[in-house]
Amino acid sequence: MALTGVEIFKLLPKTNCKKCGHPTCLAFAMKLAQRQASLDQCPDVSEEARRILGEASAPPIRPVSFGPEGRLKMGEEIVLFRHEKRFVNPTVFAVEIKDTDPLERINSVVDDVLSSEIERVGQKLRIDAIVVRHASRDPQRFEEAVKAISHKAPDLPLILYTEDPLTADSSLKIVSTKRPILHGATKDNLEQMADLAKRYKVPLGVKADGPEELSDLTEKIKALGVEDLILDTGAKTAREMLEHNTYIRRLSLKKNFKPLGYPVINFCQREDSLLETLIAGLGVMKYASIVVLSGAEKWKNLALFTLRQNIYTDPQVPMQVEQKIYKIGDPKPDSPLLITTNFSLTYFIVSGEIENSKVPSRLAVMDCEGLSVLTAWAAGKFTAAKIAQFIKESGVENEISHRELIIPGYVAILSGAIEEKLPGWKVIVGPREANGIPAFLRQRSS
Amino acid sequence: MAYSAPKEAYSGRVFEITIGTDRPVTFGGENVLPFHSFEGIVPHRPVIAYEIQDVPPDDWPERVRSVYDGVSNDPVTWARFCEEKLNAKALALRLVGTHPDRENRSVEEARKVVSEVLSAIKIPLIILGSNHVEKDSEVLVAVAEAAKDKNCIIGKEQEGNYKTITAAAMAHNHKLIAMSELDINLSKQLNILITQMGFPKERLITDPMSSALGYGIEYTYSVMERIRLAALIQNDTVMQPPLLGDVGFYVWKVKETQASEEELPLWGSLKERSIAWEALTASAMLVAGAELIIMRHPEAVSAVEGFIDELMK
Amino acid sequence: MLIIGERLSIIARRVREAMLKRDKGPIQEIATIQWKAGAGMIDANIGPAEDGGESLMEWMVTTIQEAVPLPVCLDTTNYKAVEAGLKVHNNEWGRPLINSTSNDPERFPMLELAAKYNCQIIGLTVGKGGLPADAEERAAIAAEIMARAMEYGLPLEDLYLDPLVLQISTSQDHALKVIEAIKMFKEMNDPPMKTVVGLSNISNGCPKELRPIINKYYFLMLLEAGLDAAIADPKEMAEALEEKPLFDAVLAGKEIDDPEKAKIIKKTVDIIMGRTLYAHSYLEM
Repeated sequence: MALTGVEIFKLLPKTNCKKCGHPTCLAFAMKLAQRQASLDQCPDVSEEARRILGEASAPPIRPVSFGPEGRLKMGEEIVLFRHEKRFVNPTVFAVEIKDTDPLERINSVVDDVLSSEIERVGQKLRIDAIVVRHASRDPQRFEEAVKAISHKAPDLPLILYTEDPLTADSSLKIVSTKRPILHGATKDNLEQMADLAKRYKVPLGVKADGPEELSDLTEKIKALGVEDLILDTGAKTAREMLEHNTYIRRLSLKKNFKPLGYPVINFCQREDSLLETLIAGLGVMKYASIVVLSGAEKWKNLALFTLRQNIYTDPQVPMQVEQKIYKIGDPKPDSPLLITTNFSLTYFIVSGEIENSKVPSRLAVMDCEGLSVLTAWAAGKFTAAKIAQFIKESGVENEISHRELIIPGYVAILSGAIEEKLPGWKVIVGPREANGIPAFLRQRSS
Repeated sequence: MAYSAPKEAYSGRVFEITIGTDRPVTFGGENVLPFHSFEGIVPHRPVIAYEIQDVPPDDWPERVRSVYDGVSNDPVTWARFCEEKLNAKALALRLVGTHPDRENRSVEEARKVVSEVLSAIKIPLIILGSNHVEKDSEVLVAVAEAAKDKNCIIGKEQEGNYKTITAAAMAHNHKLIAMSELDINLSKQLNILITQMGFPKERLITDPMSSALGYGIEYTYSVMERIRLAALIQNDTVMQPPLLGDVGFYVWKVKETQASEEELPLWGSLKERSIAWEALTASAMLVAGAELIIMRHPEAVSAVEGFIDELMK
Repeated sequence: MLIIGERLSIIARRVREAMLKRDKGPIQEIATIQWKAGAGMIDANIGPAEDGGESLMEWMVTTIQEAVPLPVCLDTTNYKAVEAGLKVHNNEWGRPLINSTSNDPERFPMLELAAKYNCQIIGLTVGKGGLPADAEERAAIAAEIMARAMEYGLPLEDLYLDPLVLQISTSQDHALKVIEAIKMFKEMNDPPMKTVVGLSNISNGCPKELRPIINKYYFLMLLEAGLDAAIADPKEMAEALEEKPLFDAVLAGKEIDDPEKAKIIKKTVDIIMGRTLYAHSYLEM
């Protein structure tokens, strides 16, 4: 099992030479324990230590990456439930194209994927990859589809899905430098597929009927020298997906069961696009590293991107909303101006209560690294000087006809200091709790 | 190393709740995490209730309001429409018109609407107040009496008004929804306070407060997962009531269910987007642990039913 | 065990008003009470103190040391206020302690001050944005702070590592993680690193009557893990030490004369260990 930082430290040279890029051997050991550093960074580690640490430091779910420069990272997950610690590598969304699809469809799907990027809460989100499926029996046809896609989208990560080694070989020749996944190793072709994965240095997708059969295959393939694997349990229903993915994650994390310690791919295509969205959502919530979709409709993308972003947020880092002046209702120049911090829960509750009051208002939301009002004040992030600076720089003075700022009751202590730093302004102390806002605003407006 | 299925042995179980009289429905009862029928017992499907309200849905966005054009002016017609045309298994009547900042309807009016709706339908009824702490404590007490022995769910009571509402639900044989604001510890505390009044915990439903996809859903999701883990692994009996996901109410006020494609071309079709928003929010609540879901759009409901079908197979 | 008296904090209304009015009476009275109850140092928490922090800290240090023969713990994010306090601090009663540096670059200059004035400092194991998820993350940050201390020429004996106690009513799982972190910190150096906690935050947000109970038993569990110092209410801590034999007996599974107390101890330990979910009424369940 994993060693603690201190246990790792005892095995290091303790020279504090800084060659690893860390200030001390202790700091390096702690990063190793967190899997945020690699032992290879230490030039002076003993063979003995390397052996012990090598075994202990292998993550329970192997990191596997694909696409140009290996930019899509998967695996390395360490928890079953997101409240315990952040889910690490967000689910990859891939859209499937069949080699039997007419060229117009191939082109239009690639276009959809290429134009799928949406920005949401500061992150750029997109369909990450394309699966090319060998649905014809014709190697030529598959090769042509791969060519057409990689010509149109040279930078897009690919998953080549064929169980025929000859077909795989000829198409890998074209795109292997972009590190695609070769998907389709089964009990019938595993030697040849393993050979191809080794030759072209690409990750290999392994397909079986359920996790038990799959664990047999991965052991055999590993023995052939291929280590970057992707698991496909052949789950056909949401129930099977949940069962297989849960068992795989549990066995890897709780039992350190290596044969299933790899990222999982789920094929979520359904005839009904909306149902498909929900099945893919299950994959995002329950342990899929890749979910495969049948198309890239914009509405579906937005819903799934948002879910993935929400599920993969760090439960320790408070969710933040953008710093700006939010308009609630249809505020006029003489409408009230309130201020709070950018902890998203604070924002949702305060803005909800302002809405409830039916008094159109402006809400100044200030960047305090996502801390709530009192914590932000104590940490020196929600102080008179910083509030004054924010109000001045926000430009709100040009929008409003008054100079009154309503501050949260918890920081009543700041009112004098803010008035000093914002000449001409009057600071009004609002209620301590958000649920007092409707009465407070209504009373002021009457 | 040989494979063996890593089944979890849970020590707790979620309480089973039956509501209604003529065409009752039952939910809860599982002794495993949501839909884990592969390692234990999941005796019932989650129940989806259609939301209606005592006043016309002028505040609902057009995409969902239009579904009920022609029936939503009258709660009784609306209720019948859901039961007969949409095959609703349960109804949730939100008495939003009683809110002092809205129509400020009287307790008498609320009582009348509840009685009329109850006599028009056979499916179970969930009766919700307007979330105004003081007003709810009058309204919900009165409607609990009006619905006497109809085995309804009354809610939502909160820390500020649980005493009177609990007493009324107890006297008139109803189930209760206890709501707290996204705080697992306060949720447990409220359940304790309610049971300390003598209300059986087997008749409670916990609402940890819902939120919409993109607007804090991860908080609700994790609070629900943690409540389930406490119920099943720590066998914490106060945390064993079924969970409510009040989905439609939160979903149909966010921008994603209202902004047109002309306004935001990258967001795609409003029709599909808004329905997907409600359906995906509901699915997340189900996967996290909700056994009772309140929704608005029939197409979203049928997609979620399809999702449940696949999970229960 | 060093108890740092916590009660001179700007959060307390009486103290805040005394600070504003520069009224020595209440400050010296509270300092004296804490000294008599066994405090070995007095914390002076003046908040972020953006304006006039320097003169306020100066005034606090001299006011406290006029009344009690103890060193002062200088508690503010305002660097200049800390320096002003250090300048007037009377080291005859022991060296002052800076509260605090951390892994947030804004707090690095505090280490420089500690080295310059040859005093002690608390290293709070948090970074910029976000709280540490577990004991390992706290230890990783501690290692960074230790490395930085050495860079600034501050002896590691002068660094107290603080794992950051969170409220049990909202962050229950961290109660145990902090205990684990204390054990890890001790192992991170030879001689072992010194450790400190801001204890009472554990019961912040709990009903008033529960607070001393949770504070005391949490303190005893941290003591067991090797804690060296606590910013706490000295009176409560003295009571905790008196109850220690009883507490140890209950944890060892022995019968004690006071079954009611035994129940309280067991339930509180279950809450701290995360074996039952916290609720304000947990003692009644």
